Amino acid sequence: MKMQSVLFYTMRMIFIVVKATFLLTSCNEETFTPNLTEEFTLQSTSNDATYKIKVALPDHYDSTVKLYGTVYVLDGEENFDFVANQCRELSNAQSADNVIVVSIGYGNDRSIDYTPTKVSAITGGAPQFLEFIKNQLIPDMEQRYRVDTTRNGRVILGHSYGGLFGAYVFATNNKLFGNYLLLSPSLWYDNEIAMSMEKENRAANRERKQLVFMGIGEAENAGRMQAPFEAFYQILKKNYAAIQIAKNREKNLGHVGSKDANIILGLQYYFEHRL
Amino acid sequence: MKTFLSLSFLLFILSANVIAQTESSANKPLLERNLTIEPAIGIHTNFGTDLLITNLVQWNPTRRLSLAAHSSYNINNIAQRDFNFIKTEYNYSLNQKFGVGRTFYAKRSSHSFFVMGGVKYTAFKETLYNPDFDKVSSSVSAISPDYGIMYSLKKGVKNWFFSFRMYIPLYPWPTKGSNIQYIDANRDNIALEAGIGVKIK
Repeated sequence: MKMQSVLFYTMRMIFIVVKATFLLTSCNEETFTPNLTEEFTLQSTSNDATYKIKVALPDHYDSTVKLYGTVYVLDGEENFDFVANQCRELSNAQSADNVIVVSIGYGNDRSIDYTPTKVSAITGGAPQFLEFIKNQLIPDMEQRYRVDTTRNGRVILGHSYGGLFGAYVFATNNKLFGNYLLLSPSLWYDNEIAMSMEKENRAANRERKQLVFMGIGEAENAGRMQAPFEAFYQILKKNYAAIQIAKNREKNLGHVGSKDANIILGLQYYFEHRL
Repeated sequence: MKTFLSLSFLLFILSANVIAQTESSANKPLLERNLTIEPAIGIHTNFGTDLLITNLVQWNPTRRLSLAAHSSYNINNIAQRDFNFIKTEYNYSLNQKFGVGRTFYAKRSSHSFFVMGGVKYTAFKETLYNPDFDKVSSSVSAISPDYGIMYSLKKGVKNWFFSFRMYIPLYPWPTKGSNIQYIDANRDNIALEAGIGVKIK
């Protein structure tokens, strides 16, 4: 047997083992009940992008009397089903009113829509994206469904750049959302620009009631995630009198691996303490 | 655990592939080594930003049966220690694992496959020193299990030989979600190591 063949078979075997190891985890695709899901598209007037919006209604959705809280989910195409299912489970477990879950799909590259300042060709579209949410999506939701129209009834949930966008909304449009689930937020972005924006607008926002949950993975050790996370948490806790805030560092999990665990804890915190 | 056992089984089934290819030409007593020490340096598969200084001690009490002790000191995120006013004060991990496996022999090389288990200690500290804010540090100091599968290649027939190994951590096993990206803590910690081995016995 020639050495080259042995090496070839060995490498092939290694490849198969690695592939099998990591593909075995991708078996359970999660979907939310189709007959409680509605879909439509909205074209943004602020950036011309078309966003696919998915809406998960609570079981026994009452279109006449009740008003429902709404959870706006960034990276909706990845997170919608998981969030919708968790909202149902958690609200059932706590005998609490469920919420309407709104998935905002990708109309642009996420690095454009979720970043507040322009540092490259594919960043800096957050102001336009926020304008779309504020002036089109939220009014549209209020027209179509029985949603709570106060800021206390609105939640924004984002991960990574989505978490950065959530922090940006907190800082610059605090009247829009009362509840923020910020998961592994990329607060390092542009020399902590979202934190600077928070500081600039603090005086106007600090007396308002807020609910904030911040989550991160313990294994996020890339030299940029942990310190701004801790700093932002301390700033909010120290400077906002009427804030309800909690944080979680998920053991042994990384940036993406910690996402679902923190979504569950964030929603749990919201259902237990919502404004 | 079920998946872990399945993977171990898969590993050994696949090993048959190599054994079938190698055993016919493998009866070379020259290659058999009872005890080796194999220091190496390596990287993780997170774009090569971690430097690994490792050592494998392998003892073959019989021709096929292999026992191994693997130690590793990892200097993590070595290239970027100061970023956007965030300074990494320290960032390292220590791993100690033991394993059992099988060795197969080819003409001028041997291949060992191990199931490994042990502990990992991780410590890192970051400080935000942006002048616009108060200085804030955040540190992690964590001990966790560390188990997975390891492949070790020894190439050469002399007392000094080339050593390569790959370790695939299976902890933390993702518990939620369906996205393959969720295994990022595992995927980023696949270790690729190369060094020189010494036959002691």
